Amino acid sequence: MPSPSDRGNAARLLRSGAYGAFAIVFLWFAIVAPGFLRFGNLTDVVQQSAILGLLALGMTLVMIAGGGNVISGGIDLSLAANLGLTAAIYARLAQDGANGLTAIAAALGAGLLVGAVNAVAVVRLRIVPLLATLAVSKIVNGLEFVLTKNSVVTATSPIQDWLSGSGLFGIPEMACGLVLIAVLVWLVVHATSLGLRLHAVGAHPEAARAAGLSVPAMVAGSYVASGLLGSLAGIFSAALVSGSSPGSGNYLLPVVVAAFLGVTFSRRQVPTIGGTILAVLFIGLLANGFQLVNISTDWIDGVEGVLILFLVGWTTLSQKESLDA
Amino acid sequence: MTGHPALALRGIEKSFGGAQALAGASLVVERGTVHGLVGQNGAGKSTLIKVLAGIHAPDAGSIEIDGKNEAHLSPHHVETLGIHMIHQDRLLPPTLTVAEALLLGNEPRFARTPFINRRQLERQAAEALWNAFQVALPVRALIRDLATAEQQIVQITRALVNKPKILVLDEPTAALVHREAEMLFETIERLKSDGLTVLYISHYLSEIERLCDQVTVLRNGRDVARVSPKTTSTAEIVSLMIDRDVDSCFPARPPRRGEPLIQTDGLGNSPYFSDVTFTLRKGEIVGVTGLVGSGAKALAGTLFGLSKADAGTVLLKGRPLAAPTPAAAVARRIGLVPEDRRRHGISLDLSVRENATLPALPDFTRRGLIRAAREKNAVAGLVARLGIKTSGPEALLRTLSGGNQQKVVLSKWLIHQSELIILDEPTVGVDVGAKVDIYREISRLADEGAGVLMISSDLLELTGLADRVLVFHRGRLVADLHTAGLDQDMLLALITTGAAPKESNAPKEHHALAV
Repeated sequence: MPSPSDRGNAARLLRSGAYGAFAIVFLWFAIVAPGFLRFGNLTDVVQQSAILGLLALGMTLVMIAGGGNVISGGIDLSLAANLGLTAAIYARLAQDGANGLTAIAAALGAGLLVGAVNAVAVVRLRIVPLLATLAVSKIVNGLEFVLTKNSVVTATSPIQDWLSGSGLFGIPEMACGLVLIAVLVWLVVHATSLGLRLHAVGAHPEAARAAGLSVPAMVAGSYVASGLLGSLAGIFSAALVSGSSPGSGNYLLPVVVAAFLGVTFSRRQVPTIGGTILAVLFIGLLANGFQLVNISTDWIDGVEGVLILFLVGWTTLSQKESLDA
Repeated sequence: MTGHPALALRGIEKSFGGAQALAGASLVVERGTVHGLVGQNGAGKSTLIKVLAGIHAPDAGSIEIDGKNEAHLSPHHVETLGIHMIHQDRLLPPTLTVAEALLLGNEPRFARTPFINRRQLERQAAEALWNAFQVALPVRALIRDLATAEQQIVQITRALVNKPKILVLDEPTAALVHREAEMLFETIERLKSDGLTVLYISHYLSEIERLCDQVTVLRNGRDVARVSPKTTSTAEIVSLMIDRDVDSCFPARPPRRGEPLIQTDGLGNSPYFSDVTFTLRKGEIVGVTGLVGSGAKALAGTLFGLSKADAGTVLLKGRPLAAPTPAAAVARRIGLVPEDRRRHGISLDLSVRENATLPALPDFTRRGLIRAAREKNAVAGLVARLGIKTSGPEALLRTLSGGNQQKVVLSKWLIHQSELIILDEPTVGVDVGAKVDIYREISRLADEGAGVLMISSDLLELTGLADRVLVFHRGRLVADLHTAGLDQDMLLALITTGAAPKESNAPKEHHALAV
C-alpha cells in the first residue's frame, strides 16, 4: 500500500506534469505556429472546444458521483450518441419549419430522456455503467439513424445563426456559452452542499449512506444532468454545422480523454469542473496548433489513445489493497 | 429519568448458512454507563453489533431501545434513535477534506442559499476536533493524506457532532497511539458525565478495566458473564472468554526438528512490521498471531512476495529469497492458503480438478498439452486423502461447502509439493468436521517434512496444533514461545497487551522464549 506521503508526492508529480505539458504545448505553438497567439485564434479554440467541453462536463458529473474505479465507476459512453440524436431532432424540426424554441425544447427533452434511461439502467437494473451506457448509446444511435436515414440534414434557423456568430468584442457566442455553462456547473459542483454530497457519494458510497445521503438519487441525478449537457452539445453542434451529420461517434474517445486528463489537473486528483475545462482546452489547443503547422489532425487520435492508456493505468496502479487487514 | 436500560438485546440468535454465530446472546446496557463487550474472535461480537446496527436481522430474540420494543431495525432507523456506531473500517470519503468529511450532511450555508460557507465549515470543524480531542488537525487536509490514527479521530469526532444518545465504539484504539487513546478515554468519561451511554468493544482488557462500569463476556455466541471490571480481575475476565470444554481432537505430534527451512533476520516491511527475526525448521508448525494490524498477517504476504520487504533478509534453505513475487515464491516451492479463499484462493467457476492442479500444471503437461490421465489420478488420490466431499473431480468449486473448498486450496499446494506452506486463518468459516480433517492434513504435511507457517487468531488452534507461536503486537515480534504446556490465558494476554499479564507469576520454564 502506498503511504499517504508517497501518494501525495505522486499526485503532485502528475499534477505539475499536466500543467507543465500544457505550458510547453502552449509555448511551442506560440513560437512555431503562425498566428497561434492572435486573440481571434484563441477565442476560436474556445469555440471549437465548446461541444467537446459540454460533453466532458456531463462525463465529469457522472464520474464524480460514480467514483473513480475505472471498471465499475461512473462513466457515460452515450454522450456522443446523445449529441448525434439531439442534433438530428433539432435539425429535422428546424427543417420542417418548426419554431426554434420548440426545436430546442424537443432536443433538451430527448437528452433528459436519454439520461433518465441511463439512470434507470445503472441505479435500478444495477448494470455496470460502462456496459449500460454503451448499450444505451447503440439504441440512441439507431434512433438517430431512423430520423436522418444516416445522411446530412441541412437546417437553418435564426437561433443557429445567432449561436454560430460572434458577439461582444468579436468573441464567438459558443465560446461565451461554454464559459457561462461551465461557470454554472462549477458553482453547483464546487460551491454548494449538493456538489459536496455528489463528491462524497462517489468517493465512498458506504460513508455517504452512513451520513444519511441517498446514494441512488445522487447517481441517477448525475446521469440525467449528463443527458441534458449532451443535448446542449447537440444544439451547439446543429448550429455549428447548420444541421446534423452522421459521425457523432467521433466524440466518444475525446470525451473520455478530457474527463480522465482533467483529473490530473486537480489538487485532489479527482474529477473537477476546472480540471475538465483545462483538459478540453488542452485538446483544443493541440488540434488547433497541429492545423496551423500543417500536421494531420489524425495524429490527435494517437495522442488521445496514448493519454487514455497512461491515465487509466496510473489510476489503477494507485488503487492497491492493504496487506494487513 | 425512567428505569429502562438504554439498550437491551435479549436471547438473540443468528445463523449464517448452518453456522450459528449467535445462540441466545443477551446484552443489557444501563443508561449513562460505559459498557464493555469482550470475547474471542468468533465469539459473536461483530454479529451482535451488526444486529444492533440493523445490518443483520436476528432469527430470534428481542431488542429494546430506551424501553421500547424495536422489531425491525434498519441502519437509518438506528441513527434516528440516536445510536451512532464507529466501525473498525473507517467510513470517511478519502478525497474530502477533514472539515468536509466531519460536517458532511450538515454543512453550514450562507443564509437562504445553497452555497456552503467554507469559513464557517472550517471553523466548526476545528472547534469540534478541539472539543473532542484537544487536537488541531489541518481541516483542509484530505482524509486520505491523514495517518490512520488521525482518520480515527475524525471519525469519532463526526459521531460526536451528531450528538448521539448511545455511542458504539468497535475497537476504537486499534490505530491510536497512547496519547491519542488517553485523549479518547478522557472524552468518553466527560461524555459519560453528560449522560451519554457508551458500548465499548475492545480486545485491550486494560482499556475495559479503565473505562467500563460493566462488561459482558461473549463466548460461542452466548453471553457467559456480566461483571464489573472494578471488582473482577483481568485474569478472571480472560478465563471467562476462553472455552475449555472444546479441546477438540488435535493430532498428537512428536516434536520434530529438522534443518532450518526459513530464517529471517531483522525483516521489516513498513508500515506493517519491523525487525522480525525467527527460524522455521522442516517438519515444524509455527503459529503466528496478533490483533488486526499487528503485522502478523502482513508477514505472510511478505514471505509469499505479495509485498516487498524493506529491511532485513530471508533465507530459504540457506539461500536468499530475493525476487519478491508470488511466482518466484511458488517456484521456490512456497504455497499460500489465503484467508479470503473466495477472492484469493480458488476459482469458484473452475472444477475441483482444475483448481487443484493450477500451480503444478507444468508437472502435468507435455509440449504444452495437459496429460489428462495423470492429472485425473493425482486429483482422485487427493480427494480421497483429504476426504473432500464432492460429487466428483469435475464438480465446480461453487457447489462445495466452505470447509471442502478450503481442502481444495490445501490440495493444490500438496500436488505442487510445496516445502513451505503459509496458512492464513485456515479454519475461518469452516465447519467442525472439516476443521478436524484440515488439522490432520496440516499435521501430516509437517510430518512429511514440510514447514508450516500458520497465521491464526484461534487460541485453541495455536496451542493445540502449532509447535511454536510467534506473537506480534503493534508491528513487533514480542514473543516466540513453545506451545507445550503454554496456557491460553497467557497467550491471550500477550496478544492483547504485548506483555505477559502482571497478575501471573513469573513464566514457568516452558514459557521461556524459544531459541
